[in-house]
Amino acid sequence: MTTRTVLIAAALAVAVALVGYEANRFWAYLIYAVAISSIGAMSLNLLIGFCGQITFAQGALIGVGAYTAGNLGNAGWGALSLLGAGLCGALASALIGLPALRLRGLYFAISTLAAQFIFSYLFKILQPLTNGVSGLVVKPLVLFGRPVASDQEYAVISIVLLFLSWLFLSRLAQTDVGRALLVIRESELVARGMGIDVSRTKMKAFLVSGFFAGLCGGLLAFTSRFANPEAFEIGLSVDQTAMIIVGGLGSLAGSVIGAVFVTLLPEAIQRLGELMPSADLVSAFREMAFGVLIILFLLLEPRGLVSLGQRLRSRWSGSKSNAGTAVTIPLRDRSRTFAMPAFNRRKV
Amino acid sequence: MTFALQLSIAGIATGSVYALIALGIVLIYKCSGVVNFAQGAYAMLGAYVTYALLRVGLPAFAAVLLGMVLMAGIGVLTERLALRVMLKAPIVSIMMVTLGLLIFLRAFCLAIWGPDQIAFPQIFPAGAIDVAGIYLTYNYIAAFVLATTLSIAFLCFYRFTSIGLMQRCAADNSRAALAIGIHVSNQVSIAWAASAALAGLGGVLLATLGGLSLGISDIGLIAFPVIVVGGLDSLIGALIAGFLLGMLEAFTEGMLTPGLEDILRRFTTIQSVGALQQVIPYALLVLMLLVRPQGIFGRSGTERV
Amino acid sequence: MTLAVRDLTIRFGGVTAVANMSLDVGAREIVGLIGPNGAGKTTFINCIAGVNRSVAGSAVWGGREILGLSPAALLRLGVARTFQSVVSLHDLTVLDVVKLGAAAHARRRSGFIAQFFGSERTFEDELCESLLKPLNLADVARSPIQTLSYGQRKSVDLARALAAEPQMLYLDEPVAGLTYQEGLNMGAVIRSVRDRFGCSVIMVEHKMDVVMATCDRITVMAHGSRIFEGTPAEVQTDQEVRRVYLGDA
Ligand SMILES: Nc1ncnc2c1ncn2[C@@H]1O[C@H](COP(=O)(O)OP(=O)(O)O)[C@@H](O)[C@H]1O
Ligand SMILES: [Mg+2]
Repeated sequence: MTTRTVLIAAALAVAVALVGYEANRFWAYLIYAVAISSIGAMSLNLLIGFCGQITFAQGALIGVGAYTAGNLGNAGWGALSLLGAGLCGALASALIGLPALRLRGLYFAISTLAAQFIFSYLFKILQPLTNGVSGLVVKPLVLFGRPVASDQEYAVISIVLLFLSWLFLSRLAQTDVGRALLVIRESELVARGMGIDVSRTKMKAFLVSGFFAGLCGGLLAFTSRFANPEAFEIGLSVDQTAMIIVGGLGSLAGSVIGAVFVTLLPEAIQRLGELMPSADLVSAFREMAFGVLIILFLLLEPRGLVSLGQRLRSRWSGSKSNAGTAVTIPLRDRSRTFAMPAFNRRKV
Repeated sequence: MTFALQLSIAGIATGSVYALIALGIVLIYKCSGVVNFAQGAYAMLGAYVTYALLRVGLPAFAAVLLGMVLMAGIGVLTERLALRVMLKAPIVSIMMVTLGLLIFLRAFCLAIWGPDQIAFPQIFPAGAIDVAGIYLTYNYIAAFVLATTLSIAFLCFYRFTSIGLMQRCAADNSRAALAIGIHVSNQVSIAWAASAALAGLGGVLLATLGGLSLGISDIGLIAFPVIVVGGLDSLIGALIAGFLLGMLEAFTEGMLTPGLEDILRRFTTIQSVGALQQVIPYALLVLMLLVRPQGIFGRSGTERV
Repeated sequence: MTLAVRDLTIRFGGVTAVANMSLDVGAREIVGLIGPNGAGKTTFINCIAGVNRSVAGSAVWGGREILGLSPAALLRLGVARTFQSVVSLHDLTVLDVVKLGAAAHARRRSGFIAQFFGSERTFEDELCESLLKPLNLADVARSPIQTLSYGQRKSVDLARALAAEPQMLYLDEPVAGLTYQEGLNMGAVIRSVRDRFGCSVIMVEHKMDVVMATCDRITVMAHGSRIFEGTPAEVQTDQEVRRVYLGDA
């Protein structure tokens, strides 16, 4: 990350925040919806894309953030309730990440699936904290002693927090901790051999990721003024995962691009769908398009929109930028003609 | 006592169907290393397709059989069109493809058949027999007998026939299988076809027991923890896991839930424990994974530097 | 400092991969470890590098028992290793990997806060000068690993190990997979590394001409034990070694 990148991102954030502030309610809504999803997607990408820990519990963590912020906000904590949401998210994430110290890959993924279902269930039955299936009504966020009421203001707040989150995570990626995550993703054994404390590093990733997931949930609660269990089920985890896959695994910018895409797509289909006879059909159509798009993306553009952008850019600037880099040499070339188990034992 | 027996009967009957569906998940995993989250969606689609065939006027036997054949075709299609292209993809991408398929198939059925539960046509005789005060409906008996025979037949097929041998060989070591002249990719397709067909029948049986709805697809995700407990690569483990899940569900719903709610109402403001039967398997899984990560019947792998 | 391994035994279930293996390495000495495939060389190295567990034996480095220590603890004691084949750390650049190597050696590394807020320009220049230039990697310092040739990746792995300023370096097949010329260069690089950094080296290798030209002393392993030890010239003339290793010509 260079100073130039930071300046460009800051300029972009200011521009979008200004647009959000001046726009009508609908556009303001789109802007904060995308910004909030982006924070969640970046936090998920830290775990899956950077650290290689596949998790399906993102929806649950966002839920923890939402309920925490809702309760604290209602109790008059003001802006601190967002911090509380982040901290509780971090705590819950560490709890969910605990099995990752013993389990790898698929087995860990399934343990997070379990965590997701257990949390969804708890949201429904822990009446005193969540108000059960009827959902928790959340008062507006109180900032500087004044309740934030308009969607335009939420758009500005969300964009500012998105920028700060991005700045934090991209700086983190440039430290030894960030680099160690990438090694753990490739091979825990090699990471250990290189002297990296794998367990501690993983735990740090879970804590940081959980913090931003919680923050995302907190913002979600304040902007929608409501937190109900259905919003934080496995479907939210799938949406978030779709964002980072569509955008690009292991890329923070990709997370934002993916969030834009996945958030706007259903809106666009909804517009088209207003021609259809029934609401059920519209939502069915939307889901079908979503499913097909995930699959098509994975098949046709497996490295995400970010890599598509990079390729286009290098084509525009001609062969010049390619001259310095040699051809990629596949180390473990697996034949494409037959199916191999995806979990090959590696010999390093 | 009779109540417990009655619960066991229900648990065993649905459990035998779960076992059938779980078998497919394990088969696909063994053969192609893919964790198929869409297995429940296959079950759901199989039930809806069979329903459509029955409505067209096909006799029950033919409709079920044709439904299974169609599902086998869909299984092969999935494998050929999507998963074969993704051999080099990261695990998370492969998981997401099957999740995408689950979302798509659910929405597809929603678009065609709507969100409401449909009464499934009677394909087994109505009524029940009364054994010492325990009601055994013909539906339960038929589901149990069909699912169990098919599971056992499948296991025998896998164990004793030459195709089964090739399947096991391809699953054990695909490179070695290729080297001795087994067409591995065909074996993978066969595994997907068989899994989808078994799941389709499982879906039909679930529909005869509890009505036809999109909810049938949930079994794919609910069955997962129990399959992992049995060991993702163990067919026998999957069978036992299926029965375990059925029993667990029946007893949680019938005994644990009312008991727990009594206690909670007395001491807290919590009124209901909700669908406890859906999370108990997951709670069990978390405990299990921490104690024996490879499952009860699974093998542990080693990594080398 | 010296390393003394005594009667090391390692089993995997019923397989005894290493049986009563002993090895001595003096200060600034390059010891070659050779032997047929499956002799147990990698297992042996892994064990004294803290990856595998041993059943019996001892390994004393600079007066301290090191068996059972983690790789991280070993790195702090100045013991580093390279890997038999290079991991594909796709997105990391050469400098990233070398910095990770330096991170294992706390004295060379700034803290998290400093890294988070500061620029690492001067440290990068220093690494370039002291490590990447001698290993011919200065030109690709900011390229991702995936764009490098196999030979370059092996050099990166060596640079990473050296960044921890080791006094003992284990090299597992540093030349395997390289072209003939690259292999000879690597041999020369290893000797110059020893001279520059003053470290001892254990080098597992198959390519005999490189081993002969690089090592001060050679230990031959077969079936998990040492069957011979001597200078390169002695190894070449020994009948037993010829029989088990070079083929009974
Ligand atoms: N993780 C393991 N599990 C079982 N056997 C192993 C393992 N690692 C190595 N071996 C066995 O130990 C012996 C020595 O292997 P290795 O150290 O790789 O030999 P070398 O490096 O000399 O070629 C071989 O017989 C090998 O099969
Ligand atoms: Mg070896």
